[in-house]
Amino acid sequence: MKIKKMRADMQALVFLLPFLIIYGLFTIWPMIKGVEMTFYKWTLIKKMDFVGLDNFRKVFQDREVWEAIWHSTFFVFLSTPTMIILAILLALIANRKSSLQKFYRIIFFIPSVLSVAVAAYLGLFVFQPYTGFVNSVLHLVRLLPQNAEIFWLTETGLAWVVITVITLWWTVGFNFILYLSAMQEIPDEIYEAARLDGASDTQIFWRITLPYLKPLTKTITMLQIIASYKVFMQIYVITGGGPLDQTRPIIQLIYQTGFKNNNLGYAATMSYILFVILLVLSALQYWMTNRKGAEY
Amino acid sequence: MKKKIGRLALTLLLSFSTVLSACSGGSNEAVDNGSGEGKVTLSFWTLFDGGDGANMQTLVDEFNKSHPDIEVKNTKLAWGEYYTKLVTAVGNGNGPDIGISHSSRLPDLINQGVVTELDTPATDAGVDWSTYNQNLLDAVTVEGQHYAVPIDTHPFIMFYNKKLLKEAGLLGEDGKPILEQSADGFITFLQTLKEKLPAKTTPFALSNNNDDPYRLWWSLYSQLGGNDVVSDDLKSAAIDKEKGIKAADYIQKLYTEGYIKKNDPDFYKNFQSGTAAIIMTGVWTTGTWESTKGLEFGAMPIPKFYDQEATWGDSHTIVLPLTKDEDPAKRKAAMVFADWVADNGQVWAKAGHIPSKPSVLEKQEFKDLPYRSDYSEVASVVKFSKHSTKNAQIRDEAAFKFLNEVWMNKMTPADAMNNMETAIQKIVSE
Repeated sequence: MKIKKMRADMQALVFLLPFLIIYGLFTIWPMIKGVEMTFYKWTLIKKMDFVGLDNFRKVFQDREVWEAIWHSTFFVFLSTPTMIILAILLALIANRKSSLQKFYRIIFFIPSVLSVAVAAYLGLFVFQPYTGFVNSVLHLVRLLPQNAEIFWLTETGLAWVVITVITLWWTVGFNFILYLSAMQEIPDEIYEAARLDGASDTQIFWRITLPYLKPLTKTITMLQIIASYKVFMQIYVITGGGPLDQTRPIIQLIYQTGFKNNNLGYAATMSYILFVILLVLSALQYWMTNRKGAEY
Repeated sequence: MKKKIGRLALTLLLSFSTVLSACSGGSNEAVDNGSGEGKVTLSFWTLFDGGDGANMQTLVDEFNKSHPDIEVKNTKLAWGEYYTKLVTAVGNGNGPDIGISHSSRLPDLINQGVVTELDTPATDAGVDWSTYNQNLLDAVTVEGQHYAVPIDTHPFIMFYNKKLLKEAGLLGEDGKPILEQSADGFITFLQTLKEKLPAKTTPFALSNNNDDPYRLWWSLYSQLGGNDVVSDDLKSAAIDKEKGIKAADYIQKLYTEGYIKKNDPDFYKNFQSGTAAIIMTGVWTTGTWESTKGLEFGAMPIPKFYDQEATWGDSHTIVLPLTKDEDPAKRKAAMVFADWVADNGQVWAKAGHIPSKPSVLEKQEFKDLPYRSDYSEVASVVKFSKHSTKNAQIRDEAAFKFLNEVWMNKMTPADAMNNMETAIQKIVSE
């Protein structure tokens, strides 16, 4: 019995080996190297001097780092709930039996296939003053006087709105597809029974659909939080982190420090701070999804 | 329990690996080192696109034709990633034989050991340094050693729309603007433009942030006699704040008093489509304006606002990156190429750049190019930044950042200078 099991394990190992080698080489090894980096002054070209815990000491006193982490966190707060609510609403629309069903699915999902650069540049063109789509429409419907402009991209508050809106438009399709397929898994009999009992549409939504979506929502929430913490490219294109670095996320600061300012050691230290944050969140997700056994 | 921990570890690893991938840099390009019989093959990395890219390709093609024993292979990289790629490639031994560098980036590349000094191969190749513009040469010389061959300078100059200036009565008989060369004179000039031209016309096209207003500030600051923003030993911030404030205050007024369109998202197009009377930007746009149908324009140095003539500028140079073999034959051939490119500056000048060799300015082919001669004397008054390794960082993270706020009227010039000083100090003391 034992030998049989061992043989099966060995076989599995052989099949897993190619993956494990690549994974070890390109993920585990860089991680270890990354830890090593945090103890050095390290440029793109070479390892310089051993600095011990200086990088860590510095990170805790560096306001820029904590501001950037706060910006990323702020974006998580902005994007996570909106990303979920919008995805559910869109899924509800697409799940209704109508001839437009396929059409909805396509148009809601299609922005997700764009690259981040395309999405971000579209955002720039839509929100820029004078010739941008949004201001032009506002002029047209006379909500904005002809000689006035809204500077969406250069006011911190408005810039966050633009970043969130663009990200929503661009990525909500993925969550939408997950919700849609979850909704289609809900057995029809339950709805039929509810209708026979005289339940209204709103009652059906709150009492049946939403509870069924709960486990999925938990998963999506955690995935979304982690994804939102890694926001970078669209902000880089739309505001460059400005004005006054007020929209600069931590990933941008890591990129700047490492690759522009040539200080990989310090950049690695910052990414480990972010790593700890994501680690706590991942642990939380693990704890939440496993607490009640196989709920989903 | 064991399984659980394993799965937990896996989740963590996955989440971490995505963080890493989010900030991974560029990849390496394959480099061909193959040398044929007696023929030296050189890989050459450039960061030029558009007109610049086409002109450089022409130069490379002509060089290869006229030099049967040398072949230069031109690889065009995106300029936004160029320096990062160059540094990492050289770092792992896959760098090119020849590269391009801005003179402002050179100190950083020297400091990191990415580029090598080139006096020996230059002597072998018979390069005569005295044939170059001294101001440009000073910008690539460190402790008496040459680190690059300048092929141009590309300063900040002024272009004007002849039709609009004429309409406002500001175009002289000679086709040049009627403009008193002083700070007040320039304001009067803009005021007249504003009054005489239709309301939709922008008197002065300029971006509302980053490069171009910074270049104008740097020019004015230098015209006032301001020191570089770092001290001679490059270890501390040394802004002459009073002069910096004066320059920033002047430019801020250009925005708040409506001579520059607020937050103009496309100030190049504004000038190009004939709805802006003047624009100040780099000479590299000359080629663009030339190829625009119906745009009658002129080019000139930026006005002399204050005591001394000065303007912002940078310079494209050819460098020898550190390579594994440091083959003397290759290095010599590279210098032959670099000097030849500088000698043929009339081709490079098509985009608008000012050639680095005064002798090129005398060539008929150069003189036949319109506009260039109107501003070529600027090469000698370009105020380059000091040889600091932190030039790019100072510009992006100290100067742009706070000056942008001044242009948006959200920060006083005095606050901006104080903030800049603190930020520069932080950058140089790292």
